[in-house]
Amino acid sequence: MNFDASQADTKSVIVPPPVEDRVIDVRGLDFFYGKNQALFGVELPVARHKITALIGPSGCGKSTLLRTLNKIYDLYPGQRAEGEILLNGENVLAARDTAKLRADVGMVFQRPTPFPMSIYENIAFGVRLHRNVSKADMDVIVERSLTRAALWDEVKDKLDKSGTSLSGGQQQRLCVARGIAVEPEVLLLDEPASALDPLSTAKLETALMELKDSFTIVIVTHNLQQAARISDYTGFMLLGKMVEFRPSSEAFVKPETAAMRDYVTGRYG
Amino acid sequence: MANAMTAATPSAPQGNLRSAGAGDTLFKGLCFSAAMLLMLTLVGLIVSLVIGGWPAISHFGFKFLTSSAWDPVTDEYGAAGPVVGTLVTAFMAMVMALPLAFGIAVFLVEFCPKRIANWVSTAVELLAGIPSIVYGMWGLFVLAPWFAEHVQMPIIMNLDPESFWGKVLYGVPNGANIFTASLILAVMVLPYIATVLRELLLTVPPHVREAAYGMGCTPFEVVRAIMLPTVGRSAIGAVMLGLGRALGETMAVTFIIGNSHAFPDSLFASGSTIASTIANEFTEATGELHISALIALGLVLFAITFTTLAAARLLIGREQH
Repeated sequence: MNFDASQADTKSVIVPPPVEDRVIDVRGLDFFYGKNQALFGVELPVARHKITALIGPSGCGKSTLLRTLNKIYDLYPGQRAEGEILLNGENVLAARDTAKLRADVGMVFQRPTPFPMSIYENIAFGVRLHRNVSKADMDVIVERSLTRAALWDEVKDKLDKSGTSLSGGQQQRLCVARGIAVEPEVLLLDEPASALDPLSTAKLETALMELKDSFTIVIVTHNLQQAARISDYTGFMLLGKMVEFRPSSEAFVKPETAAMRDYVTGRYG
Repeated sequence: MANAMTAATPSAPQGNLRSAGAGDTLFKGLCFSAAMLLMLTLVGLIVSLVIGGWPAISHFGFKFLTSSAWDPVTDEYGAAGPVVGTLVTAFMAMVMALPLAFGIAVFLVEFCPKRIANWVSTAVELLAGIPSIVYGMWGLFVLAPWFAEHVQMPIIMNLDPESFWGKVLYGVPNGANIFTASLILAVMVLPYIATVLRELLLTVPPHVREAAYGMGCTPFEVVRAIMLPTVGRSAIGAVMLGLGRALGETMAVTFIIGNSHAFPDSLFASGSTIASTIANEFTEATGELHISALIALGLVLFAITFTTLAAARLLIGREQH
């Protein structure tokens, strides 16, 4: 990856959504892997019921940023974040109850991660962690979650089959269904389509477009077309900094910073 | 990659054919003989055990397994005592070792800081390397006297010998009994099981583990609902490995089990295992029937371990399909 140091230093362009629309507001976030700093004063305003895409070359920190939003980095000693991540006005970084936080901010990973249990249980398991639900209600939740993740028709006759028996694309939609079953406010997706074929990707994107009516979505992607197709806001990151953040309709048509212009036109990354 | 293939293609068939002629055949033959040699050894072992044990088996018939009268003076040999002793000590050892091994493995994988975990697991693996005679001596000189004084004596003093527990825990207070033998066995198999379980738990993909935490699982829920089912029946392999060792362990058990051929009638009774009986009596066996009975015992032990391992194979094999 070649880059011009002067580009990285160019002033960032941030056109955020109005304050009252923001579910998450990341302010001046620094992140460290041990002694290595990976994020430098990152800003990320996330608008309610919109899809926010994070793009940028590998290693720019977009996945790292995503992983701070539900504090999943907390599993690894030595990783730490400084700054502010406001979720509905409360600082996530100070939150003690990570289980509650992760119920509010769900996550779907790059590789499908079905749990070693039946399709039905994959969804019921997460719900049961946070609420007591009757069998009848659970049936409704499972069906609705699978339907919203555009998977119900494909699995309705084999709900008792193992989640790992599904194809990669189906597994990923199962993970989406599992994520939304607990009714989080925000759903984080870390390159959810990078291991999927084009048809599965299209199905996943359709599902996400439908889901934004009920959920706020933040997606990390390497696929610029995907970002342009489905997102409302796009954040372009480079070397651990948020370089440009604007409504997608403007950002892809006319990038303001030289760095993003180079990236979307394929000069590097 | 593509270039290399096209470049190699023209000359490849000839080269393959030539090597298939001499060197390859020789190589295949050597590998085949190595495998066959092992099979032949196994078959030879079984055949010689059967031939050696035949006089005893034909003389006593099925009673060899059901009778517990083992008396070299009257040339009367019934193996029920040692057989039951073997099964009971191995089983009790597993009951004691398994939960501990499990705790160790889960702790090392899930809760322990990485640097310390590596250090501790090395220590656990080293435990597996301690020679069994060291365990035996420790059992005889340290564990048995301590056990007699601090466990058996208080029980004898305070428990009504006619009560249920009085009968179960009855025994000469010398610390040499099937319970202490099981205890030693448990310590011996613990590192094996813990090490294998740990390796199994480490095979759970990190992203699945992360996803479970991402759902808001607590560490306990991750272990119970995600890690254990993923490891699943492969864990049986670890258990069987430990069981195999516990069944065949000789020296440590011989030291501490008390070496009585009687059928063990309480937890703290002296007993014997197949391996300890053979080790104890082989040098003194003079009568043809005595030697034959010991060899037949060996055959029984072989059958027990073989069955255990075969059962494990079946269970693990089924898992993979």
